[in-house]
Amino acid sequence: MSNAFLSIENQPGRLIVNVKGHWIFDQVLALEDATALVLPEAGQLVTFQCAGLEDIDIAGAWVLYDRSEQLSELGIKSELTGFKAGHFKFLQHVIDAAAIREYEQTPVSPQRVKVLRRTVEKLGRTTATSIEDLGTIARSILDGVRRPSLIMVGETIKQVYFTGVQAIPVVMVITFLIGIVTAHQAAGQLEKFGATVLVVDLVSISITREMGVLLAAIMVAGRSGSAFAAALGVMKLNEEVDAMRVMGLNPNQVLVIPRILGLVIALPILTIFADIAGIAGGALIAMGSMGISGLQFVERVAYSTDLADFYVGLSKAPVFALLIAMVATLRGLQVKSSAEELGLKTTMAVVQSIFMIIVADAFFATLFTRMGI
Amino acid sequence: MDIIISVDKLVNRFGSQVVHDQLCLDVRRDEILGVVGGSGSGKSVLMRSILGLQRPNSGTITVLGQKIKYHQPGPSRCWGVLFQGGALLSGLTVQENVELPIALHSNMPVETRHELASLKLLMTGLSLSVADKYPSELSGGMRKRVSLARALALEPRILFLDEPTAGLDPIAATEFDELITYLHDNLDLTIMMITHDVDSLFGICDRIAVLVDRSVVVGSVAEILDSEHPWIKSYFGVPRAQRARHAVGGTKHQQ
Repeated sequence: MSNAFLSIENQPGRLIVNVKGHWIFDQVLALEDATALVLPEAGQLVTFQCAGLEDIDIAGAWVLYDRSEQLSELGIKSELTGFKAGHFKFLQHVIDAAAIREYEQTPVSPQRVKVLRRTVEKLGRTTATSIEDLGTIARSILDGVRRPSLIMVGETIKQVYFTGVQAIPVVMVITFLIGIVTAHQAAGQLEKFGATVLVVDLVSISITREMGVLLAAIMVAGRSGSAFAAALGVMKLNEEVDAMRVMGLNPNQVLVIPRILGLVIALPILTIFADIAGIAGGALIAMGSMGISGLQFVERVAYSTDLADFYVGLSKAPVFALLIAMVATLRGLQVKSSAEELGLKTTMAVVQSIFMIIVADAFFATLFTRMGI
Repeated sequence: MDIIISVDKLVNRFGSQVVHDQLCLDVRRDEILGVVGGSGSGKSVLMRSILGLQRPNSGTITVLGQKIKYHQPGPSRCWGVLFQGGALLSGLTVQENVELPIALHSNMPVETRHELASLKLLMTGLSLSVADKYPSELSGGMRKRVSLARALALEPRILFLDEPTAGLDPIAATEFDELITYLHDNLDLTIMMITHDVDSLFGICDRIAVLVDRSVVVGSVAEILDSEHPWIKSYFGVPRAQRARHAVGGTKHQQ
């Protein structure tokens, strides 16, 4: 029998395989199929006669070698002969590599680690990392407080601009829309009791106490938290952080503290804008579709919402800002090696900071209720 | 002598700065061509133009008879590139990095692909124990070897090397030179290599292309050494180049 790559002559005691054609990378699939047809009987000597070979590369040589290895595993002897000088070196490569490989493959005994042990180890590691994280954050804040420098001031102002001023439009639009949504939902329910005017109370109290600051914080976490983590992560990858250390700059001072400070200043400002926009959204619906006049609206807001409500909302802003900035800068600086890790840490920064904002908010809600504020 | 890569009247400009002006260069089959030049003389730009990663202002480049167009698929099955930093994909293991081009360009079964990739890793002098590591866990020299294994994955006919020995210690650099020579002799490769390593230049290159005056001076090592061009004279006149020249003794080229 015969095909494009080999022709087989069956003689008593011998199987002569004439190898021919192009044994190259592109043909590997076809070559594997072709060599599978070399099926000697037990005791036959297989001779691969390679004089007719036109072209060969490493991949082709490997297929040939692999088949002869397979045969020897079945207890059938085979030989490769008749190579042209320029062709044999490829086979030599494969043989050399295989020799190194056998030498290397000293069996590694698989260690069975108990599930329990692994879980405990993981738990321990997570705890240790969390403690380490806390320590890192404390250290960076301490660094900033101990030796404040002029660089920090400039950087902080820059961060206030990036994270605060530039975010004003988007935060206002979002809270404005949420104001509209809240007013609509409240109106639907309160109309049943004929208490339409209470919509104003509900909107102004919920926006000032909760929604304004929460929406601003979540927006900032998504916007600036990711930016912090990504920026610091890339700086880590580029060895910029190391370069700073070598020059005597403390990265905590130059990178971490300004971001934390900047956000602590920016988020309360954003919260005020968010409150204004949210109440304006409520006002639009109240005046537009519920027949409450502008004067009535203002009166009602003044009557129902005191300054304490506003302060309750505002007081949460610096805490949220601190959480976002700390988590994001920490995750950013944890990037060590790869682009993949950068993405992972950025995601962690955003998800964890939003998670912590919500947890902190639940804590504040309970606290303020207990305190009766 | 077959011409594998032909660069014809290449012009590259960045703003008012002219990097290449009517540059012509031919790379012959089975040779190792070393490319040298001062900083900003356009070594990398030349290589990037040939690879279709840079849009030249004018000029034509032909590789294996195929005209190179910017960002168009070139003869990517016939060339392998070793970038300076290795440019391994950081999210993939060493094994996956080497398998990637094979997976992209063929429909081989996984085991075959795996075998061929392992073979390439062994050929570049790596141990298979690195196969499951990520590039970030490797040393610079190992990363270059992995990158070379990846460049060789598709059995290329042309190999581009961008400063292959930069950042390696002298022992590793010498080993890498030996590896390149070995692969060149055994795999019928044409190699174009940017290098500043004078040891590599004298030791393994057949011809040298010097990028000067926005153009190129090409010749055998001996011809380049005899050149009267002031920059070339000063480049090969510095003590370290002289030492390398004496160390190699021109054994390869002055026979």
